[in-house]
Amino acid sequence: MPVRIWRKPLDAEKAKPPCGEIHILKDLCKGCGYCIEFCPRDVLEKSEEINKRGVHPPRVADESRCVVCSFCTAVCPDFAIFVIEKPCEGGR
Amino acid sequence: MSEKDVSKAEAEEIRIGVYVCHCGLNIAGSVDCAEVAEFASTLPHVVLAKDLRYTCSDQGQEIIKQDIKEHRLNRVVVASCSPRLHEPTFRKVCEEAGLNKYLFEMANIREHCSWVHLYNRKAATEKAKDLVKMAVMRAALLQPAVESEVPIRPEALVIGGGVAGIQAALDLADTGYHVYLVEKEPSIGGRMAQIDKTFPTMDCSICILAPKMSDVGHHPNITLLTYSEILDVKGYIGNFKVKVLKKPRYVTSDCTACGECAKVCPMIAPNEFDVGLAIRHAIYTPFAQAVPSTYVIDRELCLNKEGVIVCDKCTKACERQAINFEMKPEEIELEVGTIIVAIGADVFDPSIIPQYGYGRYPNVITSLEFERLINAGGPSGGKLLRPSDMQIPKTVAFVQCVGSRSEKTGKPYCSNVCCMNTIKDALLIKEHWPETQIYVFYVDIRAFGKGFEDLYRRARKEGVIFIRGLPAEIVEDKQTRDLWLIGENTLQKKLYRIRVGMVILSVGLEPRKETDLIQRLLTLSRSKDGFFMEAHPKLRPVDAATGGIFFAGCAESPKDIKDSVTQASAAAARAGILMAKGKVTVEALTPIWIPEKCQACGLCVKVCPYNAIKLDKERKKIEIIEAACAGCGTCGAECPFGALVMRHFTDEQIIAQIDAATEVDADKKIIAFCCNWCSYAGADFAGVSRIQYPENVRIIRTMCSGRVAPKFVERAFARGAAAVLVSGCHLGDCHYINANYQTKKRVERLWKKMEKAGLNKERLQLVWVSAAEGEKFAAKIREMQPIVESVTPEEIEKAKEVFQKALEL
Repeated sequence: MPVRIWRKPLDAEKAKPPCGEIHILKDLCKGCGYCIEFCPRDVLEKSEEINKRGVHPPRVADESRCVVCSFCTAVCPDFAIFVIEKPCEGGR
Repeated sequence: MSEKDVSKAEAEEIRIGVYVCHCGLNIAGSVDCAEVAEFASTLPHVVLAKDLRYTCSDQGQEIIKQDIKEHRLNRVVVASCSPRLHEPTFRKVCEEAGLNKYLFEMANIREHCSWVHLYNRKAATEKAKDLVKMAVMRAALLQPAVESEVPIRPEALVIGGGVAGIQAALDLADTGYHVYLVEKEPSIGGRMAQIDKTFPTMDCSICILAPKMSDVGHHPNITLLTYSEILDVKGYIGNFKVKVLKKPRYVTSDCTACGECAKVCPMIAPNEFDVGLAIRHAIYTPFAQAVPSTYVIDRELCLNKEGVIVCDKCTKACERQAINFEMKPEEIELEVGTIIVAIGADVFDPSIIPQYGYGRYPNVITSLEFERLINAGGPSGGKLLRPSDMQIPKTVAFVQCVGSRSEKTGKPYCSNVCCMNTIKDALLIKEHWPETQIYVFYVDIRAFGKGFEDLYRRARKEGVIFIRGLPAEIVEDKQTRDLWLIGENTLQKKLYRIRVGMVILSVGLEPRKETDLIQRLLTLSRSKDGFFMEAHPKLRPVDAATGGIFFAGCAESPKDIKDSVTQASAAAARAGILMAKGKVTVEALTPIWIPEKCQACGLCVKVCPYNAIKLDKERKKIEIIEAACAGCGTCGAECPFGALVMRHFTDEQIIAQIDAATEVDADKKIIAFCCNWCSYAGADFAGVSRIQYPENVRIIRTMCSGRVAPKFVERAFARGAAAVLVSGCHLGDCHYINANYQTKKRVERLWKKMEKAGLNKERLQLVWVSAAEGEKFAAKIREMQPIVESVTPEEIEKAKEVFQKALEL
C-alpha cells in the first residue's frame, strides 16, 4: 500500500483559497443559466424567485465554495453577475 | 531427431572417449576409478577409456586434446565432478581440439556419488558405472550445435528516477550509451529527495542528490521522460520495444519555475511530496529542487475541465506564456537493448495496526513524515511540531519494525534501513533540541554497515534510551494528546508504561504497487516478499532471470542509499557489458520446430513462460523467437506430437539415459529428474556437504523440471524402475519464471493415472529443492528407500504393463 494522505496540511490555515463575495443583479438576468452551468465549484443554483424579466435568476447556494475565478462574470451575456474578492474569515 | 539426422549420425562412426577422474582421493577414495574406466571401455561406441588423477588439470586437458586428434574422437565423456562446476572447462578443451562443445558430456560421480556414498565402495563403484553408462548412451546421441547471435541495441531504458535510477542512467550515459529515464512522478529524485539527512554521515540528502538530478537533466545522452508510465514492453534481450505514455504537464518547457502561477492559483490540495503535511496548488512543482523544474498542472484539481477554460489566473500570471491547456497525452515508442528496473519501494501504511493508533492519534507519525517535519525546506520549516498543537515535543518515542519482521502484518522480512534511520533521526532531534528525552523501542538493533556501529554508540552516549520490546499498545491522553506506550521490556522482564509527546513509527519498506505491472510486462520473477528476484543471489545479484534486464535499488530488496547506488553502478556496468559487446550468444538449448508433426494446437504457446513462441493458426505455423527463449524445454514436454525437439535435451537423449539406468536391477532403483538450477544444484550441495543417502538413485539432469515430459516418467516405470522422483525449484522461485507449475500439473496428472490403474502412486514423488537444500534432497531419497524396498515384483510388472506404450517412443 502506498503512502496514505489523511492529515490536514500544517499550513492549511495560511494558504487558503481566495474567498468571493457574489453579487447578482437579479433584474438584469434573463435566465439563461450559463453561470449555474459553468461554475466549476457549483456555487450557484436556480432560485424560485421571478424577476422583472419574468425568469428565475440564480442564487448563491454556497458562497464559501467560491474561489473567485470570475467565470460567471465572463460568461454572463447580460452583465448580471460579478464577484469581488473579500478577506477570508475561517475559510473553507 | 529427424530421419535425415539419424542417417547422418550413422554415416559418421561414433567414437567416444571416456575419462574417469580420481580427483585425488575425492572420487578415488570411495570409487574404484580404474574399474569404472575398464567398464566404460566395454560400452558401445567407446574407443578409449582412461582414468586420470586430475582431469581438469592442464595435463589432463592436454591428454583429452591429444586423444581427440589421435583417436579421432567425436564425443567426449568426463566422469568427474558436477557439470555445474567444470562443464565449461571441458567444453573449452573440446573446442580447442576442434570438437563442437555440444558433443561433450559429463557424468557426475563426485557430488552425486563418491561424496554421498563415502562408506560403501562397492555400491558407489556400481553407481559410478551406471552414471558413466548413462552419460555414454546420451553422448552417442549428442548433436553439434552452433550458438546463434543476437545484436544488442546500444541504448538503455531505466525505469524509475530515484537515486538508483539516476545513478544507473548517469553511469550508462557517461559510458557513452543513450539512456531513456522514465519516471512516473513530475520530478526525479524519489525517496532520497524526501529524506532530510542520510546515515551514517549525516549528509544533507537533497544537497548531495540535487547535483546528480541536475546532471541527469542536462546530460546529452539522457532523454528524461518524467510524468510518464510504461504501457507495454515487447521483444527480448538486445531488442526491446517499449511503449511509454507521457502525460501532459500543461506547462511547456518555456517555464522558468518563477512560481507566479502557483501564487494566484485558487485551488489547493495536500502535497504528496510532503506526505500531505503541506499544501500545494493545482499548478505546482513538487519541491524546490525538482528536475525538470517545469511546473505541472493537476487537472483533477484544476477548475478547468476538458474543453472549458473557466479560470485563467495562471495563464495571466505567466509572463513566458508557458501554460497550454491543449496539451495531449503522448505515446512514445522506444527501442532499447537493455532495461534497468529501479522502481524503488513504497512505505508501509501503519494504519493497519490498530493498536498503534496511526490515523487516529494526530501525534503518531511515520518516519517518512518525520523526515519532512525535520527538513528545513519542509512544511514546518525544520521544526519537529506535534500536529495536534504545533508544539515541539519534550519526549519522543520511536517504535521499530512497524511493518517489518512481523508475520502478523504479512511482512516477515527486515526492511534493512529503519534501525539506522531511527538512530539518525534520534541524533537529529538531539542536535536541534538537546533536552529532548528520546526512547527507541526495538526488537534488535541492526547496525551492520560501515560506520553504523559508531553512530549507534553516539546515540547511546547522547542519552537516547533503547528499550527492547515493542509496545503492545499506544494509548492517547484525550486532553493533552500525549501518548502512553505500554509494553514489556524483554531484557528486564518488566512492564513499561511511558508517556511521550510524540510517537514516530519506523515504518518498513514494501514493494511498489506498480511491481505487478512491471513484473508482467518484463516477465520477471519475485521473491516471496514481493520484491524482484535476481538471477543468482550471490553471483548475479543485479541480473534478472530474463536476459538484458537488471535491477537497481529497492525494487530488488529494501536497501539504503549507498547500497542502491552501488547496485545501480553494478547494473549499469552489467548492461554496459552487453551493449559494448554489441551481441549476445544464445546457448543452443532452444527448440527446433518440426513442421510436419505440428498441428498448430498452441499448447506450447500457452506453457512458454517467455512468450517466445508465436502461433499462426491460419497458416498452421509457429515461430520460435530464439532470443527470447531461455531453453527450459517446457514446450517440448507439453507438445503431444513431438513437433518440438529440445536441442541438447532431446527426447531420445533423455530416454537413452533412462534406458541405461534401468538396464540392470531397475526394480531397486530410483530414477530422479533434477532441474539444473535448483534441485540438481541441491543434490550437488548434498555432495559438497558430504550428506550420505542411499546409493539407489540415478539422477538425470534437465534444464528445468518443466522439461520432464510424462512419457519420461512412464518410460522409467515401463522399464521396471521401482520409483521415480521429479524435483525442481520451489514454486514461485523457478529459474524459468513459472515453468515448474507445469511440472506440478503433469505430476498430478500422472498420480491420477497411477491411482486409476491401481498402482501405488507413492512410487512417483515430487519435491521442490532449492540449491541450498542438500539435506532436503538427501532426506527425500532416504524417505523413498522404504518405498523402493516395499515394491513387489507384481507391482513392477503391473507398472510395466500399464505404461507399456511408453516403450514405443
